[in-house]
Amino acid sequence: MNFAPETSIDIASAVNRATAPSAESKLKVEKLNFFYGDNHALKNINFEIPEKRVTAMIGPSGCGKSTLLRIFNRMYQLYPGQRAEGKILFDGADLLSKDLDSTVVRSRIGMVFQKPTPFPMSIYDNIAFGVRLHERLSKAQMDERVEWCLRKAAIWEEAKDRLHTSALGLSGGQQQRLCIARTIAVRPEVILLDEPTSALDPISTSKIEDLIDELKQEFTIVIVTHNMQQAARCADITSFFYLGELIEVAASNEIFTNPREARTRDYITGRFG
Amino acid sequence: MASLARRRATDYTVKAISVGFAALSLVLLAWILWTLVARGLPALGPHVFTHITAPPGAGGGLLNAIVGSLIQIGVALIIGTPIGLMCGTFLAENGRGTQVGNAVRFVNDVLLSAPSILIGLFVYQLLVVPFGGFSGWAGSIALAIIIIPVVVRTTEDMLNLVPIGLREAAFALGAPQWKVVTFITWRAGRAGIVTGILLAIARAAGETAPLLFTSLGNNGWSLSLDAPMASLPIAIYQYAASPFEDWVALAWAGALIITVGVLTLNILSRLVLAKMK
Repeated sequence: MNFAPETSIDIASAVNRATAPSAESKLKVEKLNFFYGDNHALKNINFEIPEKRVTAMIGPSGCGKSTLLRIFNRMYQLYPGQRAEGKILFDGADLLSKDLDSTVVRSRIGMVFQKPTPFPMSIYDNIAFGVRLHERLSKAQMDERVEWCLRKAAIWEEAKDRLHTSALGLSGGQQQRLCIARTIAVRPEVILLDEPTSALDPISTSKIEDLIDELKQEFTIVIVTHNMQQAARCADITSFFYLGELIEVAASNEIFTNPREARTRDYITGRFG
Repeated sequence: MASLARRRATDYTVKAISVGFAALSLVLLAWILWTLVARGLPALGPHVFTHITAPPGAGGGLLNAIVGSLIQIGVALIIGTPIGLMCGTFLAENGRGTQVGNAVRFVNDVLLSAPSILIGLFVYQLLVVPFGGFSGWAGSIALAIIIIPVVVRTTEDMLNLVPIGLREAAFALGAPQWKVVTFITWRAGRAGIVTGILLAIARAAGETAPLLFTSLGNNGWSLSLDAPMASLPIAIYQYAASPFEDWVALAWAGALIITVGVLTLNILSRLVLAKMK
């Protein structure tokens, strides 16, 4: 039995309204089902992520939003027993097909995690590690790349005098911005953010939210968040997931002021979740 | 409140027994160390390190045994460390929860607690009998078999301490698994892995049984791994059972050298581990 609502038409019109005049969809999810062993975690998801916009995914814990994020860059393939059915078109190619190499997919679709995960090496090497996986750069080019991405991630001023000291000496907020820098350094097209500020204090959080605003000039951004103010502040489009189903997608100002679905309204007004 | 008095009495008795036995074990250890130092230190002159085995009364030393031990432990390390390291890495990175992983882990645990004389006999049958003689190679391989399970266990334990999130972060940048392992996981766990190797050396350094039927011991000066080779544990075994006073004294000196060596390695490994945390 399948209770998934027919949301694809709504999505298309919502996306158009939110992102007019012309936002191409960067990722197009078609009839996606996902399983953790026997557990049916995502049910018939149809969803489009517009290019160079911020798309937020909200919903109570266990609703499948992080699961969807982890499908986009194929993290789920690291774990036997997790499997996806359906299609995710990424610039026309199916992300779920075996023809695409995982390392290439992950270099084009980067991910930042909930907890800052600096590698146990210097700040410089944290960034160079990812870049060296995909490109051969001279020392000068690498220096340039490191500075470029640290500036983009708004941590250059704090890090420039200690590039060759351990990244573990940075504060939590700085570590998270370093992780964002590290992801940008590979020059992906899409950046996935999995609750990037839930482990950070309000000041670091606001820095990262400003950063997200900057980054959407160049990158397509998908953010999972439990903080609805954050979604309202940062995202152009917000999607609401509940029990493995995509309930509603709309422009953020629309979904937070005038949600179409009762379940969305109940969630954003704090009646459950 | 009779029961309260009784409970207090029980508590007191159990505590007293525990403290008593703890003290007993410490006393035994102190006694051993004291005897070792008291008998070994006077025998520990410079000639111990500069002379090889000599007839009783001729002022021989332990040079050949010390060098033989160092060579065999060195070769055992070169053979055993990569095998142990790779196996431990497999268990931590690919073998979690798989049947092959569980089987390898179980076999390794058995090997870890196998009596070392059995390993000596195994290598005797495998290398000494077919090749027609005792050799330094046979001794080294026997020691390598002692080292491997220790390194496997500590490597796996230490890599399991590395957070999954760190590996995922590296994968998320597009790293293939071998790069994630070599540049991220090993790096994060390296202090613990080094500790495991140090402990394995300490364990191998004191083993007599695996060498008894393999490298046999050698009273002459020989650096050839194809010939029987001297080693400290075997020298102690020979000298201690002899009726000559100066040989017995050399055995004590040898025992002191091994003990100080192993103690140093243990302390070193603790320091490395403390630095990691």
